[in-house]
Amino acid sequence: MKWMQFFTPVQSLNFSETKQYIDEHTGDEIQILDVRQPGEYKDDHIPGASLIPLPQLSDRLDELDPQKPVLVY
Amino acid sequence: MLSGKGFKKIFNVSGGIKAWEAQTAIGPQDLGLDLFTGNEEPLEVLKIAYSLEQGLREFYLEMEKQAETQKVKELFAKLSEIEVKHQESIYIAYNDVSPEDINKDEFEKMVEVKALEGGLSTMEYLELFGSDLTAEIQVISLAMSIEAQALDLYQRLSSKVTNLKSRNIINKIASEEKAHLASLGKLMDSL
Repeated sequence: MKWMQFFTPVQSLNFSETKQYIDEHTGDEIQILDVRQPGEYKDDHIPGASLIPLPQLSDRLDELDPQKPVLVY
Repeated sequence: MLSGKGFKKIFNVSGGIKAWEAQTAIGPQDLGLDLFTGNEEPLEVLKIAYSLEQGLREFYLEMEKQAETQKVKELFAKLSEIEVKHQESIYIAYNDVSPEDINKDEFEKMVEVKALEGGLSTMEYLELFGSDLTAEIQVISLAMSIEAQALDLYQRLSSKVTNLKSRNIINKIASEEKAHLASLGKLMDSL
């Protein structure tokens, strides 16, 4: 069995690009989304990030604004 | 998952929090996975779904071999068994939707052809993601991202399929994928 390459057109930002993007926008212009588990979020997260663990994401999409950019990690 | 739900602008922070901490970018540029352009017909989607389940099954069998603790081995064994049931359900759904019945061998041939296009082996796939197979958290994290793709796939497929029986099958598989995700999350919390 081989996997298809299921890559998304979603754009990737590296650390410096992410930091620049966050610096250039106010907190209410963008959404930073942490999809890890609560324990990992507690240990460390990007300042301003909202926590929605991946297993809950499909049920909690209404907590995000689809019109605003989302930075996901 | 977000790209299929009308979100206009999504960025994947490559390397995630590790890159943030280390202040260097790591990991592949295309860490975000997605399956669909959204324009596929239900039959095409079911073929892709079948190959995804096959890939998931092989991934879990590989993980079962590699896992170092009994608890993790058992979890991966259980997950791999469920994928076989999902494949059977998908095959049934395909014949429900398809204008003509197709036997299992022919169906699998079609799926295999599709899956091989530009494909990666399971190990290449793991390497691409830089997963350290000895680090259980990393393996589980990768498994969660794949399960999330599977869940996304079935939720999108469900809204496209008009045949009630097929839709019920797909919804049932989606619920199971969601339960997989939750159990992987719990496992990660316990490590």
